[in-house]
Amino acid sequence: MTKRLRIGYVPLTDAALLHVAKAQNFAAARGIEMELVADSSWANIRDKLVAGYFDAAHMLAPAAIAVSLGIGHIEAPLLVPVVLGLNGNAITVSKALFEALLQEAQGDMSNPRVTAKALARIVARRRERAETPVTLGHVFPFSSHHYQLRMWLRAGHIDPDEEVRLVVVPPPFMVETLRKGQVDGFCVGAPWSALAAAAGAGAILHQGTDIVHDCPEKVLAFRAEWVLSHKEEVSALAEAVGDASRWAASPSNRSSLVTLLTSTAGKDVTAAMLERILDTPASTSGSALLSSGLRLDEDAIKADPAQALWLFAQMVAAGQTTYSDALAEAAAAVYAPALGPAIPRAAATPVIFDGPAFSPNDIPSYLAALEDGRTSA
Amino acid sequence: MSRDLRIAVIDKNPLRAAILEDGLRAAGHMSVVHIDDTADLLERIHAIDPDVILIDLESPSRDTLEQMFKVSRSVARPIAMFVDRSDAAMIDAAIDAGVSAYIVDGLHKDRVKPILDTTISRFNAFAKLKKELETVKSQLEDRKVIDRAKALVMRAKAIPEEQAYALMRQVAMNENKKIAEVARSIITAAELLR
Repeated sequence: MTKRLRIGYVPLTDAALLHVAKAQNFAAARGIEMELVADSSWANIRDKLVAGYFDAAHMLAPAAIAVSLGIGHIEAPLLVPVVLGLNGNAITVSKALFEALLQEAQGDMSNPRVTAKALARIVARRRERAETPVTLGHVFPFSSHHYQLRMWLRAGHIDPDEEVRLVVVPPPFMVETLRKGQVDGFCVGAPWSALAAAAGAGAILHQGTDIVHDCPEKVLAFRAEWVLSHKEEVSALAEAVGDASRWAASPSNRSSLVTLLTSTAGKDVTAAMLERILDTPASTSGSALLSSGLRLDEDAIKADPAQALWLFAQMVAAGQTTYSDALAEAAAAVYAPALGPAIPRAAATPVIFDGPAFSPNDIPSYLAALEDGRTSA
Repeated sequence: MSRDLRIAVIDKNPLRAAILEDGLRAAGHMSVVHIDDTADLLERIHAIDPDVILIDLESPSRDTLEQMFKVSRSVARPIAMFVDRSDAAMIDAAIDAGVSAYIVDGLHKDRVKPILDTTISRFNAFAKLKKELETVKSQLEDRKVIDRAKALVMRAKAIPEEQAYALMRQVAMNENKKIAEVARSIITAAELLR
């Protein structure tokens, strides 16, 4: 018998696997009728999932962990049986900041270490002159966009809390805020950087993958309590996402995927933009290590508890919570691969361009190494 | 007596905001400020320094407010979402009405609850009004279409108005359609055959 599930999502390119699971009937074949409901904010997604308005949701991975741990103001245990993809963000800066960085940069502008050091000089100059601090936008306090900005700043030894202003700017306002100079740049998910660049409001400075390789992005989240009584539906939907992933990663379906995503994206999003946003399937690029785009393949969707721990460590590094073994354990438990599709290989591990190696078994040492990197000039 | 609470209303619908402001004033809240849903929201909120923020759920700016919580170091007066965990019914009512509320941390819930109650009822009243308006609009539209079709039938068959109407009603009943649908078909056909 078909079960109807109400699934909230934010209209971004990385909701792709949900659209594929529905449009290609992968969910229907597993007895799930997907009602996809677009929403306008991550706060709404969280509240409506927690309140039971949605059975499942496309959610920022760190937001799912924060809600589960009660960091912030709502505490509700969530479970993530499957991840919806890796990568897809980009740092876009205003034309003015881009020019200034170009002037200051000593080296290759595609190297985030070079741009971060150039930014540090701009930040310092603005502070000396008591001008408005450099203001950078991201999308939600608990988001990889936020953490990626902090990692970039850290490479320039810029204090993200004291020397610059980090603000949440809803993506629909980004072009306007860049134009008005209310923000100097932002880290945002696809397709918003492409849209800002196309509108002539800014220039893409770094792909998210320049900062973090295989960066966790969105997940499929359920209320843990609901999962207890709906295991079949949860697994069926997660398996359908797995089917969608295999379909989306197949080079022969590439053009169908782009066509589908063009129809689900806003009117300004072109097929050419999506071609650049999406990662090139592994069989053509040769190695997943080279991937610079949104990954939807099977190795990118495993809900590996190590990824949850990596995100938890970034939350601690951002000062959003403090480390404890109990919290780390709870964060890891949010990811429940046993409820998702069986993927024999290990999941991709996120790699920061300018940070210590991450060891899920020893987060305190990792955090200490991050801290050392920040203080040593 | 405690100072009047400062309330900021973030809503891109000016009519609904006006209805809400009116309701809050009627309840004795004199310092209500409407903020358009704009990009420089945070600065405007800092300038107003509200005790209570009411925001339309359709606004993407909810995420901007989220950074004003305790975990953030960017604001002087931390805010919290107005969620009474003991009162799931209130959360449901707020989501149904399409509104959310944030309060200055530490503000007593008893002072805020009547404000949220007023907000929910005004949002619902607005939604009802909007629906009624749409119904009236479509009824007016139907009326116009029916009149046009009736005139066509009168002319084509050289019959008086009542007979033309009766004929259309008979067809609608036979085909299990609304009379407005029959009228639209008549107009389409007439245009085709012109």
